[in-house]
Amino acid sequence: MKQTRREFLKANVAAATAATVGIPLTQAQAAAGAEAEQGWQWDKGVCRFCGTGCGIMVATKDGKIMATKGDPDAPVNRGLNCIKGYFNAKIMYGKDRLTQPLLRMTNGKFDKKGKFQPVSWERAFDEMEKHCKRALKELGPTGVAIFGSGQYTVHEGYASAKFMKAGLRSNNIDPNARHCMASAVAAFIQTFGIDEPAGNYDDIEYTDTAVLWGANMTEMHPILWARIANRRLSHDKMRIVNLTTLKNMPSELADMTIVFKPSTDLAIQNYIAREIIKRDAVDHDFVKKHCVFATGPYDIGYGLRGNTDKAKPEERDTVEKELKVKLDKWEAIGQRRKEGEVVEQKNRKKAGKHWLISFEDFKKGVEPYTLDYVAELAKGDVDEPLEEFKKKLKTLADYYCDKNRKIVSYWTMGFNQHQRGTWVNEQCYMNHLLLGKQCKPGNGAFSLTGQPSACGTAREVGTFAHRLPADMVVFKKKHRDLAEKIWKLPAKTVNPKVGSHIVKIMRDLEDGKIKFAWVQVNNPFQATANANHWIKAAREMDNFIVCSDGYPGISAKVADLILPAAMILEKWGAYGNAERRTQVWRQQVAPPGEAMGDTWQVLEFSKRFKLKEVWGEAKVPGLKAKGFEDGKLPSVLDEAVKMGYSPDQTLYEVLFATPENKKKYPWPAPKELTKGHANHIAEKLGDGWFPEHALWEEYATFGRGHAHDLDVFERYYDDDVRGLRWPVVNGKETLWRFNAKYDPYVKNGDIEFYGKALKALPSGDLDKVTNKEKTKLPGKAKIFFRPYAAPVEQPDDRYPFWLVTGRVLEHWHSGTMTRRVPELNRAVPAALVFMHPDDAKRLGLKRNDLCEVASRRGKIRARVETQGRNHPSKGVIFVPWFDEGVFINKVTLDSTCPISKETDYKKCAVKITKV
Amino acid sequence: MNLSGIVVATFPGKVDACVDRLNALPGVEVHNVDHEKNRIVVVQEAESIGAEVEGLKAIKALPDVTFAEMVYHYFAEDEQFIQEIPEDLDAMTGLPQQQACVPEYLQD
Repeated sequence: MKQTRREFLKANVAAATAATVGIPLTQAQAAAGAEAEQGWQWDKGVCRFCGTGCGIMVATKDGKIMATKGDPDAPVNRGLNCIKGYFNAKIMYGKDRLTQPLLRMTNGKFDKKGKFQPVSWERAFDEMEKHCKRALKELGPTGVAIFGSGQYTVHEGYASAKFMKAGLRSNNIDPNARHCMASAVAAFIQTFGIDEPAGNYDDIEYTDTAVLWGANMTEMHPILWARIANRRLSHDKMRIVNLTTLKNMPSELADMTIVFKPSTDLAIQNYIAREIIKRDAVDHDFVKKHCVFATGPYDIGYGLRGNTDKAKPEERDTVEKELKVKLDKWEAIGQRRKEGEVVEQKNRKKAGKHWLISFEDFKKGVEPYTLDYVAELAKGDVDEPLEEFKKKLKTLADYYCDKNRKIVSYWTMGFNQHQRGTWVNEQCYMNHLLLGKQCKPGNGAFSLTGQPSACGTAREVGTFAHRLPADMVVFKKKHRDLAEKIWKLPAKTVNPKVGSHIVKIMRDLEDGKIKFAWVQVNNPFQATANANHWIKAAREMDNFIVCSDGYPGISAKVADLILPAAMILEKWGAYGNAERRTQVWRQQVAPPGEAMGDTWQVLEFSKRFKLKEVWGEAKVPGLKAKGFEDGKLPSVLDEAVKMGYSPDQTLYEVLFATPENKKKYPWPAPKELTKGHANHIAEKLGDGWFPEHALWEEYATFGRGHAHDLDVFERYYDDDVRGLRWPVVNGKETLWRFNAKYDPYVKNGDIEFYGKALKALPSGDLDKVTNKEKTKLPGKAKIFFRPYAAPVEQPDDRYPFWLVTGRVLEHWHSGTMTRRVPELNRAVPAALVFMHPDDAKRLGLKRNDLCEVASRRGKIRARVETQGRNHPSKGVIFVPWFDEGVFINKVTLDSTCPISKETDYKKCAVKITKV
Repeated sequence: MNLSGIVVATFPGKVDACVDRLNALPGVEVHNVDHEKNRIVVVQEAESIGAEVEGLKAIKALPDVTFAEMVYHYFAEDEQFIQEIPEDLDAMTGLPQQQACVPEYLQD
């Protein structure tokens, strides 16, 4: 490249960067203008990665991407991107990008033990159709499953959910977001009767305090962290507290770091509640007008299997605790029982049930959580003096209780991936509600989302085993009726029995209860804890696993059929981020080879099913709903014919390419909307309709008027719109929900928690229901008392270390988010075991030595890191889970919160040996 | 050839020292300095994605840098970039990408 051209380009890059973040240009830069960008078309887009939902701008020319930059007009990030977001365009061009369907074959025929060979889409669907129908015939709708995703676009999730629930009548669709946000969701519904945060990111610029509860925002939500850092540096009063089980990057900026033992967050929050009451910091007016007190059973198990049938001998002692637990001295105090008491876990199947209690009872519940009790229980760093720790807890309580101090609590996986995840989420609301510091600018508990569209797709669209769109659920007749009305289905089409959640889908595969499973936009065979069981089931049992992905991860390698998927900028899409902001983008470039968008894959597959094959009578084991007394789904074919359908019509015609959709949402679409961008899905379907537009408007029907309003499709594509925070009513976003000043759905008073779910409760005391009569609670939120509970598996002589897993920024991410950025560290491409240098020394290990980490369930080998950005205390190790070669989920425990069914990846017991 | 525009933020009073340190890094040039908001725009030139990222890490590690992120990514003339992306673009693959059949380790 000529020197002058290089200089010219660099100057342009600098100018564009400065302009993007609002730094004044030099005169020369301003003069040079957009010469380098001739012929480029800039379009807005959304980052593929975390739940922050930063805006990016993409420049294309002749169907190729020329450049990307942070979107200066995006309110979320104002031109900034973190390093992952920066690579949004490049992630699509890796060498091992999947471009053809691959089927395991021997001698031209499908063979589960065969090697992958490329096949045509036609052949791929043929095989899928065969196995799916076989599973349906043998096992009914519960015999098939879809592993859904918090990274689905809204359209993809909606298409898959509708295909499963309206088409195959199966509720076995559950997203990887179950592993991520389920506890948060359960707590929202239990506390407020409606999902998703009240506040939004603007809280950062209003608040005086940011408390991070087990959330490494520096690495995991870097742009939000940048905003918090900015606030800290520009607002004298601002303070940051980092509560964590191991010292990590937020500590570099935080004013205080509190290292606590796994699960003792339950105790710490009760300590704060007790202080709030003791110091008379309760906002009595707020509590009286807007809240009630509640509690539930403690004997709810740990989400493990209720038997040891499938457990290896080594695993048994942990699994046995699912049915019976001996309380240790800490639990005894926190639960008002006796040390050594053996408690049968009787409420495993009713873990979420709860009832009203009095304020007096609530006070009794938190009374044992004194500073002495909590400090001794919770202190996580053996080297920290107890008095130091106590001082910190007191300061934390000071921040919460100070009437003149605004405070926002942030959390993600530390709270959600927790055996008592729902409880610990509820406790955060408990404290904010007691103080009246909720749903106001700068004041509130804010649940951060991990994935880019766990909110927008998984939760709002309802790609869950129990959900329908807009917070509705399959087990409520009123909700099914509404879904059947909007979807134009005969009555009783939708299956009222909750399907299998993601861990249960794995267990069902292992039990032979599911024989067809389709993985879409995630990597469950790497992401699910206790992985050895599930990989064995997928590879060795009689089933058919399909994996749609952009790159071959473990799930693809374990599957029988791999389908190449189009990636982010290769399709039209929409995502909803953590602050309820729904954002959209257009297709920028064509997918490579034969890769196709997931929406097309579902639509095309739906052509293989005739109504008569899927709407006949079907058995559903365990179905006990009213109106379905014989345990079967009735045939709805007669009703369908009455409605004008023919039994020979396909699900594609009935659910998707309806005459109405084709008429209302044509493709090609108006240029004002498409700006000349292509749509490979509409083009391949070739029947003249715009699937993404049609799916959007149909989906939006569910939420409009029900506090989940989305605007029309076109509005989001307007040049001056950078997403909108729902509910969007009369074109206006809602910034703080439940607050009359900002939320048009508030009809009574200044604050109204109008969510409708679970707002009629019986009453009782701290231990049980004493009055079964239900009290209605319109407009109220619940302040829950939840006790401390010990983790089901703690370090002991055989397995003396805590294992905490999570993500790291440097090693490019984790989990089910596929192929974003290339590996940084080619010299040491594997994940590391972060441990305390003294522990390493004791074990005879030096930095970079190979060690073996083993639990009752499995083992891995990895190199030791004693000087990284994570500083575990003695007795704790941290291993990130992005690396197949260090497959840490073989080691983790598949214990879940019994209410939310979310796996606890943050605490199990391991031993470490030198290799 | 990869060019990236990076925004660096620092503490008030440390801007000039920061500018000097940035210019001293290989492949990094300072182009804009905003003394009001204590931010600096640099352009980094690197041969590969891996080098881009290493370079960013070096910037982040400089004293008094509170924030450094890439904002603008130019690669229109980078015909080589597809080849330069490391073999294992899949950050979760510790294995050679040629393996399409189930590797031994999954069997244990």
